Amino acid sequence: MKTSSTYLLIVFLISMVTISCSERDYFDNGETAESFTRGKTVYQLGDDISWKNTSINDSLWTQNITIKEDQIFWSRTDIEILKAPEKLNQYGIILNQFGEFEVFWDGRLIYKNGDPDNSLNSDKKGKMISKFMIPKDLSTKGKHKLAIRKSIHFYLDYNQFFYYYIANYDQILRGDLKDMVFIHIFAGAFLMASLYLFLLFIGNRKSYATLIFSINCLLFFLLILFEYMRSYVDIHYSYHHTRLEIIGIITFLISVLTPLYFSLQFKFPKRTKILVLYTAILLYVFFREHENHDSSAYNMVVFMWFVSLAIVIFGVIKKMNGAKIVLISLLASIYFHQDINFDISIHIGFSIILLGMFYILSLRTKEQRLAYEESLVQSTRLKLELLKKSIQPHFLMNTLTSLIDWVEEAPDKGVLFIEALAEEFDVLNQVEDKTLIPISQEIKLCKSHISIMRFRKEIDYVWEDEGINENIVQEIPPAVIHTLLENSITHCLPSDENEMRFKLIAFTTTNTQEYSFLTFGKVRNQQKSKVDGTGFKYIKARLTESYGDGWSFSSEAVNEGWKNTITIQK
Amino acid sequence: MNILIIEDEIRIAKRIERMTKEFFLNTLQKITSVQSLTEGLDHIKNNQLDLVLLDLNLNGENGFDVLHETASGAFHTIIISANKHEALKAFEFGVLDFVPKPFNKERIELAFNRIVKKEEVGTENLQFLAVKKRGGIHLVNIEEVNYIKGAGVYTEIFLTNGEKELHDKSLEKLSQLLPKSFERIHKSYLVKTIEIKEIIVKTGSQYAVELHNGEILPVGRTKYKGLKETLFK
Repeated sequence: MKTSSTYLLIVFLISMVTISCSERDYFDNGETAESFTRGKTVYQLGDDISWKNTSINDSLWTQNITIKEDQIFWSRTDIEILKAPEKLNQYGIILNQFGEFEVFWDGRLIYKNGDPDNSLNSDKKGKMISKFMIPKDLSTKGKHKLAIRKSIHFYLDYNQFFYYYIANYDQILRGDLKDMVFIHIFAGAFLMASLYLFLLFIGNRKSYATLIFSINCLLFFLLILFEYMRSYVDIHYSYHHTRLEIIGIITFLISVLTPLYFSLQFKFPKRTKILVLYTAILLYVFFREHENHDSSAYNMVVFMWFVSLAIVIFGVIKKMNGAKIVLISLLASIYFHQDINFDISIHIGFSIILLGMFYILSLRTKEQRLAYEESLVQSTRLKLELLKKSIQPHFLMNTLTSLIDWVEEAPDKGVLFIEALAEEFDVLNQVEDKTLIPISQEIKLCKSHISIMRFRKEIDYVWEDEGINENIVQEIPPAVIHTLLENSITHCLPSDENEMRFKLIAFTTTNTQEYSFLTFGKVRNQQKSKVDGTGFKYIKARLTESYGDGWSFSSEAVNEGWKNTITIQK
Repeated sequence: MNILIIEDEIRIAKRIERMTKEFFLNTLQKITSVQSLTEGLDHIKNNQLDLVLLDLNLNGENGFDVLHETASGAFHTIIISANKHEALKAFEFGVLDFVPKPFNKERIELAFNRIVKKEEVGTENLQFLAVKKRGGIHLVNIEEVNYIKGAGVYTEIFLTNGEKELHDKSLEKLSQLLPKSFERIHKSYLVKTIEIKEIIVKTGSQYAVELHNGEILPVGRTKYKGLKETLFK
C-alpha cells in the first residue's frame, strides 16, 4: 500500500512540475520582417465607403469594439514599408483573420474574400487565410494604410484576431512549403506503418500493443494532415476552430496511447491505477485552457513525454529488453524540441520515439520467431524421440537377443515373437508423425509392447482398460501411455504369481479428458524419484506441444502399486 | 568356478546361464542369477566369486555405478550389454571382456576362454584400477602406478608418489587386464617398463632392475630374456 501511494505521489508531482514548467505561449510565429513594420490597428462599426481612403480622420476609432452578427465594420491599419520590392519583384500579403471582407490598400480595392454584405452566404466562401498581391505602384517605401471592410457571422469573439505578413509574393505563396514537404514524408511513413501494424494485428488478434501502435501511427498521420492542411486547403473561417479542436483531440489521444503502449512493453506494478490517474490529469490539462489550443497541446505532449520517460526508465532499471534504446530515442527527441519550433519538433520528436517503438516491436517479433523456431525444433525432437523408442539399443538389442534365444530353443514361439515385434513397429510407424492419436491406437501400441515384453521377461503381463469409447473423441499424444507402461515394466516387480497387471481408465467430460494408468505390482525403488526421468520429460513435452498449459500430470505410489494421472483441458 | 549373472531380462539371463553351464561343465561349482543391482551387490559382498557377468542397464539403473564395485573385486568382470558405445569406458575400469548383445555361443565362449586360458586382454584401454578403501571405491589412474607386487591373493600397487594401495585381484588377474606397458618381471612383480632405469646383473645369474626412483626389484630367471627383448627391441 505504501509503495503504491509513493508511485502515485511521484506521478502527481511530475505532472504538476510539467504543467507549471510548460506555461509558455507557443503561438509566436516569431518572424521579424525586414520589409515592413506593423502599426496600430483601429476599428469602427458602421459602413462608409470613404473609410477606405488614406486621409480620413480615424482618431475616434477604437482598438476594441463589440460587433454584432453580420454587421459591417471597418478596420484600419498603419503599415510602413521599409524597402520597396526589388525590380521585377512584387510584394504580397498574407492575411489570417475571421469573417468575409474587402481589402483596400491606400484606398484601392485589392482583394475580396467572400462577401461582407452577406456573411451568412451558404457557400462559405470566406477563407481563413488569404494570400494576394499588393500592386507594385502601391508598395513604395513609406507609410501605407490597410483598410478592411468586413462582417462576421461565426465566432464573433474572434473579430479582432488579425495577423498579416508582407514579403515578396513568391515567398508568400511558397510559405511553409519546405517544412510541409518534409513533414508529409513523415505523414506517409506514419500511414504506412499504421496500415502495416494493423495488418499485423489482424494476423494476431491478441497483440493489443500492435493495435495501439497502429492507431497511434494513424493518429499521427491525421495530426499532420490537420495541422498542415491550412497551407493547401482553403478553410472557411467557421471551420478554423473545428480544425483546432480535432488537432487537440488527436494530441490528447496520442498522449494517452503512447504511455499505454510503453506500459504494455515495460510492465510496471499498479499499471491500471497509474494510467487512469495519468489520463485524468491529462484530461484536466486538456480542458484547463481549452481555448488556448496550442498551449494545451504542448502541455499534453510534454506531460506524455515525462510519463513515457518514467516508464522507460523503469524498464531500464529492471533490465527489460529494448528499454535502453527507447530511452535514448526519448532523450534524443528533446534535442529537436529545443532547436525547432513546436509544430515541427513535435513531429520529429515523435518520429524518433516511434523509431524506438518500432525497435521494441522488432525485438518482440524476434522473440516470437525464436519461440516459434524453438517449438519446431522441439516437435522434431519429440518425433525423433518417438522413433528412437523402437531402435534404441537397449530395447532393440535385448529384444533381438531374446528373439535369437526363442528361435534357437522354441522356433514356433520365436515366430510369434517376431509377429509381436512387427506389430509394435507397425503401430509406431503409423503414429510417428502425428502429435495426437486416438486412445484406441495408443492401446494397440501398448498391447503390442506387452506382447514383446512377455517374451523377453517371461512375466504374465495383463492389460485392462475402461471408459474407452470409439464414438467420442478421446485423444492423446503418441506413446505417452506407452512411456508410462515402459516405466512400470522397468520399475515394478511382478506379483508372487509372476503376474503384472495394468489398467487404463479414460474419463471423459465435456471440458476435460482424464487418463489414469495404474500398475498393480511392487515398486522396486520407492524412494527414487522418477519425475525428472527422460520418459517423464517426453510426456510433459508432448502434452505442452498439443495443449500448452492446459494439462496436468501426476505420478505417485499407491497401495496397489503405481498410479499416473493425466488431465487435459479441452 | 563360482559365477554370478546380473541381468534383468529373464530370457537372456537363462541363455547366459545355459551357455555358461555348457562351457564350464563340471568345473562350475555354483551359478547364481539376479535381476537387480542391489541383489547383485549383496551377493558380491557375501560370496567368494570368480566371475561376474554384468548387464550395464538394469531396470533403468546405470550399471556403471556397480562397475567400480565389481572392478575392485577379486573376481573378473565380463560385461554383456546392448550399449556397445559404452565398451571403451567399461574397459577403462578394468573389465575382462565386453560382449555386445545380441550374442551367440561362440562370442560368449571367446570371453570365457580368456579366463580359462589366462589370455591377456591385449587392449590398451585400461585407465583406472578400482581399489577398495575405507569409505568406498577409489580409482587409481594407471599413469600413477610404478609397479605391482603380488601378496598372496591380493596385490600391492606402488604409486609414483610413494604411496601404496591394496587391490583384491591377484597378480594373475591384473596381468590379464593391464596394458602392454606393464611387464611381468618376476612371479611376484609387474613393472611399468618406462619406469625401469637399468637391469642389474648379479653374480650367480641373479638379475634385478633399478627403477628411476631408486628402488630395486628382483627379476625372475625365466623372465630375464623376455624383459631384455622388451627393453632393447
